[in-house]
Amino acid sequence: MKITRVLMFAVLAAYLLWVVYPMVWVAYSSLKDDEAIFREAFALPAWDGLRTENYARAWKEARFGEYIFNSVWITAVSVSLIVLLGAMAAYALARFYHPLGRGVFWLFLSGLMIPVQLSIVPLFFELKALGLLNSRLGLILVYTANGLPFAIFILAGFFKSLPRSLYEAAVVDGCSEASAFWRVMLPLARPGLVTVAIFQFIGVWKEYFFAFMLTSGEAGEAVRTLPLGLANLSITSQYRSDYGMLFAGLVIVTVPILVVFVALQKQLVKGVTAGALKG
Amino acid sequence: MATVTLSRLVKRYPDKTGGGVTVVQGIDLEIRDREFMVLVGPSGCGKSTTLRMVAGLEEISGGTILIDGRVVNDVPPKDRDIAMVFQNYALYPHMSVYENMAFGLRLRKFPQDEIDRRVREASAMLGLDPYLERKPKALSGGQRQRVAVGRAIVRKPKVFLFDEPLSNLDAKMRVSTRAEIARLHARLAATMIYVTHDQVEAMTMGDRICVMKDGRIMQVDAPLGLYNHPDNVFVAGFIGSPSMNFFKGRLRKPAGPGPLLEFVEANDKAEPARFMLDARLSALGASHVDKDVIFGIRPEDVLDAGADSPTPPGRSIEVAVDVTEPMGAETYLYLNTGATSFIARVRPTDRFQPGQAVRVSFKMESAHLFDAVSEQVLR
Ligand SMILES: Nc1ncnc2c1ncn2[C@@H]1O[C@H](COP(=O)(O)OP(=O)(O)OP(=O)(O)O)[C@@H](O)[C@H]1O
Ligand SMILES: [Mg+2]
Repeated sequence: MKITRVLMFAVLAAYLLWVVYPMVWVAYSSLKDDEAIFREAFALPAWDGLRTENYARAWKEARFGEYIFNSVWITAVSVSLIVLLGAMAAYALARFYHPLGRGVFWLFLSGLMIPVQLSIVPLFFELKALGLLNSRLGLILVYTANGLPFAIFILAGFFKSLPRSLYEAAVVDGCSEASAFWRVMLPLARPGLVTVAIFQFIGVWKEYFFAFMLTSGEAGEAVRTLPLGLANLSITSQYRSDYGMLFAGLVIVTVPILVVFVALQKQLVKGVTAGALKG
Repeated sequence: MATVTLSRLVKRYPDKTGGGVTVVQGIDLEIRDREFMVLVGPSGCGKSTTLRMVAGLEEISGGTILIDGRVVNDVPPKDRDIAMVFQNYALYPHMSVYENMAFGLRLRKFPQDEIDRRVREASAMLGLDPYLERKPKALSGGQRQRVAVGRAIVRKPKVFLFDEPLSNLDAKMRVSTRAEIARLHARLAATMIYVTHDQVEAMTMGDRICVMKDGRIMQVDAPLGLYNHPDNVFVAGFIGSPSMNFFKGRLRKPAGPGPLLEFVEANDKAEPARFMLDARLSALGASHVDKDVIFGIRPEDVLDAGADSPTPPGRSIEVAVDVTEPMGAETYLYLNTGATSFIARVRPTDRFQPGQAVRVSFKMESAHLFDAVSEQVLR
């Protein structure tokens, strides 16, 4: 009993180290210059020689200042739209009967099963025709459409698991269909909304493929997101040997994910387990 | 406040055959202003469906519902001025007790001070003051039940609807809450419709009781009216505990003078039990001589013929004791004639042994005769 506990603790501790150390390493390496990185790769940076200007350079030279604005803007709008539209669609599919309801649900689910990369060619031409290449709106629309199936799948399960009598109590209390949704059903689906929001946040924040395919040239430069900037940085830093700046860029990309995850972790666990039990 | 009138009310659910199942079969019922009407009946008889149609939670397949003289068939629940207490309470889990009660008022845009006044009044009345800031999941079943009642009363609706609100409480809570709701009714002077499958609840709470079976109304009357004057075998057997005893048999006109009829039990195993009816029952049964009837007698009207005043000849029968059940204040005797098993309620001092033969007689003033085919009472 005691031995197994100790063993388990040791295994988990080792695993934690395995996962966390690379991140910590990147974080402190971002404060070293290249020479220090290559001389003693694993050493902590010297207190008096902290290279905070790595960040300044990533921000300015590698244009992370602009990219982060694009990323935040595109991610915030996409995730909000996914959660909002996903919740509304899921609620309608879960709560009301319609002869085509099942068909629509499966149509959405098929979006989960087909790799989206397959659709890139028609998607490209469609956006081109709409004049939405190299635009934030174009990326937002693609990300929203891409995220909806997952959101609907998770949230429909949530809405189905809410007792019908709560809805009935709400309409007897004086709610219209709309206010029953906004004031009673939606707040009750919060763990599900948070789950969807976190997964979609991570997915959109680090999305590379669409961002790469749907932006190009000078026009695309203005709407580039962080993953593109990072990829760019990692290619150029190999030639110019500027690993300090690359690591600084990595930290800038990673920190928001960590912050969001830690802040919402409790809700996330609740949402995932509730979905698992009821779904 | 308000009357509720159901007329020719029908509820039909679609089913696989396409014909549909009719679960409420055209009922007519008038619930008077300020009346406490109980809908009672066995599981699946359509009580909840009827109540939910009044609430507007189920579509009406036929007939009309009037609340306060207005046809509400197509009026959404929020505009019917009703409040409902659900069996599982259906409290909003994300709101505090206070907000649960205030919700309906907020939706109706009441001013904040009025909301506060009404919520505090209801909470004081229901003893919920210490819990106002709690979430429902931090309350006991009884407290949740009271919040559900509070949520209904703050709105001061025309009609209160209850769907088995006590069935999730333990036996003791149920008795005290029963009394509380009855007091509430007296105090609010509101029209209430209360659904239960428990005939004790129905008897103790209702001004009038509507007994339902298979989507039809069997009888509507005040509690004692139902108890003493059931219209049919179903109501006679449903109301009262232990339930009324029934003997199947025939009426016979004995040889000789006199208007009195004799009841002869249908018994192909042994010598049938037979006994004389009194003048009232004989008159009621005159149309059914030599026809099949059902004789109904409540357990408290089965008398120990040996102990009580001497019974006239032909008025008592000999039966065997199967089981004795001492309840404390009284004892239930399970008796049988060979063909019919029945129950007698006797004083606890009486000593009876299983297997023993005893003579019993029936208190004819309280007995009932029913037509064996239609199961309607003879009158
Ligand atoms: N959605 C539905 N589709 C088909 N039949 C239904 C539906 N809802 C209820 N019923 C049927 O209607 C009948 C009446 O149901 P109802 O809930 O009114 O019964 P009840 O008298 O309230 O019983 P209980 O005491 O068990 O609550 C039942 O036989 C039930 O199976
Ligand atoms: Mg019911």
